Amino acid sequence: MADFLRRQRQSVLTLLMLSPGFAGFLGLFFYPMLVTLVRSLRPEGQDVGWTLTHYIEFLGKPGTRQVIVLTFVLAISSTLLSMVLSVPLTLVLREKLWGHRFFRLTILIPITVPGLVGALGLLVFYGSRGWINLFITQILHLSKLNINYTIPGLILFYLWHYFPYTALTTLATLEGLDRSIEEAASVAGANGWQVLRHIVLPLIAPGILAGSVLTFMAAFGSFSIPLVTGGNYRPLSVAIYTQIASFTPARWSMGSAMSVVMAILQVTFLSIYMRVLRRPIA
Amino acid sequence: MSKRVWTIAFVLVLALLPALGIGVAGAAPLGQEETYTVQKDDSLWNVAEKYLGNGAAYPAVVGATNKKAVEDETFPYITDPALIQPGWKLAIPSEATAAEFIDTYILGKDLPTEITLVDTNSGANFQTYWQETVIPQIEADLGIKVNYLVGSESEQLERMKAWEAGQGDVHLLFVKPETVPNALEQEIGLETLYPDKLDIIPNLGKCPRNYLLEVLGESIDGKGALYWRSQYALIYNSEYITDPPTSWKEFYDRREEWKGHIGIVRPDAKSGSSYRIPYSFLNAFVAMSDAEDKAIPLEELQQTQEWQDAWAKLQDFYAYAKLPLPAEPPNMFEDFNAGDTWISFYAMDYALWSRSQGTMPPTIKSSFLAEGMAAGSDGYLIVPTDIPDEYKAVAYRLINYLLSDQQQVQLITTMWQYTGTDIWDKIPDEVWATIPAWEDMEPARLRILNSDVKNLIKEQGPDLLVPQ
Repeated sequence: MADFLRRQRQSVLTLLMLSPGFAGFLGLFFYPMLVTLVRSLRPEGQDVGWTLTHYIEFLGKPGTRQVIVLTFVLAISSTLLSMVLSVPLTLVLREKLWGHRFFRLTILIPITVPGLVGALGLLVFYGSRGWINLFITQILHLSKLNINYTIPGLILFYLWHYFPYTALTTLATLEGLDRSIEEAASVAGANGWQVLRHIVLPLIAPGILAGSVLTFMAAFGSFSIPLVTGGNYRPLSVAIYTQIASFTPARWSMGSAMSVVMAILQVTFLSIYMRVLRRPIA
Repeated sequence: MSKRVWTIAFVLVLALLPALGIGVAGAAPLGQEETYTVQKDDSLWNVAEKYLGNGAAYPAVVGATNKKAVEDETFPYITDPALIQPGWKLAIPSEATAAEFIDTYILGKDLPTEITLVDTNSGANFQTYWQETVIPQIEADLGIKVNYLVGSESEQLERMKAWEAGQGDVHLLFVKPETVPNALEQEIGLETLYPDKLDIIPNLGKCPRNYLLEVLGESIDGKGALYWRSQYALIYNSEYITDPPTSWKEFYDRREEWKGHIGIVRPDAKSGSSYRIPYSFLNAFVAMSDAEDKAIPLEELQQTQEWQDAWAKLQDFYAYAKLPLPAEPPNMFEDFNAGDTWISFYAMDYALWSRSQGTMPPTIKSSFLAEGMAAGSDGYLIVPTDIPDEYKAVAYRLINYLLSDQQQVQLITTMWQYTGTDIWDKIPDEVWATIPAWEDMEPARLRILNSDVKNLIKEQGPDLLVPQ
């Protein structure tokens, strides 16, 4: 009995200790989400009444499917490319060649530079009078390459901005790897490719995939990059912004409904992705 | 008998009122006001020196005369204190009133020295200008520290609605023209500046009166002071174009020459050029409001052949634009820098300022399209009613300073923005070598009166106008 009471007291204490964190969670996360949800169900510009018209209107619009597909295409392709880029990059960095510290730092540049500044910089760099095109037209004497405002260009810009998340976790996992395992494989007669394919990759896969989740989430919600460099390609985040910024009065309810749809899509995709991740990689 | 008693009592009370200090609203003259008729070779400074013992008090004479002039036509309305005519009747305030004017509004005695200004109008260029130029000047010249904040109209109006009387903490606002009727419509109290405050904001007399009474076809009853007039204009790069079009029709007819190089901002972009470009274009071909400035209903418009032709031309025009259409101003500026865009229709001040900042090519020029060019967001200064009285005095002092010739000339010479005051003869001639003269520009100013058309552009523009 005394034991039960003590345990009871302990759990009350635990609850008390947790309450600030819990309140913080409610106030900073749950409440704003709830406000968005409620707003999306209100008639535009009113604080009373419930309606589903914004969802019906948004999901029924002919362009909506295109916008959602575009958002996924951009996020998924840049995530995949970030994995493809990260593995060789980190394998080289692991060797601690001359100047590797400098390159480690430069990986961080895309996430430390504000998105808008980075986006404008990329536009200038790849633009008609940018270095890339000057090199192509003036030195190689080829015709101008159109990168800005195209889908491949947009994916390139996404990749530049969001690959560090994948690269950093991959690098950390790779450096935590015990080299003796690779040596053992080599001694057993495996060539370089076989070591990579059967030893290194399976061992660092959790790191790559964890990083890719971060890259995907950032890319899915990316705003400043497509706003400035998107041209005619306007993913969900920009479409939501348009509702608020370009109409007077702002269409808060419509924007909120679109945000809720976006959140549901993202959470659904991520939970499927995470489930796939948990499976052991052969 | 009783009637007479009442009359006497009434007269007595009336006579006693001033003595008791009841009903003497702050601005009422403390002594006797006089009139003076201007003689040959008089100047306002001399008149003020003679009657008030201080030449520097002349704005008090201007303000008092202008306030009288609004009700009494025998007084002149002085728009330029340097030009007074013999025979004009001037109102001379009492010495006490003049002394109070000087103490409070010129010297700022016993007034708060810190004030909050919220700006919901300025673009990036003017936010920099306020912060780096005007605010330090105010502190140096008036000794007032201004907390300058950038805000959004809808958010600011919501806050003001929640204020308790006398407790408001934003003392002066710099807003877009539509904000003034929007605030009044939501029953937010604003001080009537014209004509009520003409005597304490003498420079307000230099603002054109029609701008103080009405914005965008709606009456504002003098509740704002006009700080600047913003204008959209044809912007072109003289490196590529030497003979720009002079009308929208010519622009359209010569579109083939500039195919792929015309800068048009996306219709659903935040920038004001998103709808101002297509609206100004349509206006050249079809009337969207009637003779009384009333908007013609959209359904009615869409039935007419004229509208259908104009809309078809507009769609066609977009196909000649630099593609994809830029979404944000920096995109279009970069297109200009890259030599992809040669010609556009944009906020004149921003384009020319960007030229000086190196974000637009140095060869950028501005010019004129005959059928009408959308006005930009004129800048109004407003003072909320629900702020403490002593802060109102500071706000008036600040408005008078911002409307001073020095500040206004600086606005046009360094920022290429048309002044809020009509002081055209004080503006150096070099300015007119770069931007069109106001007398040419003003008749061409086009106001967006048909909000249905504006909404059509914003809502359906991305589907109907943007070439894929």
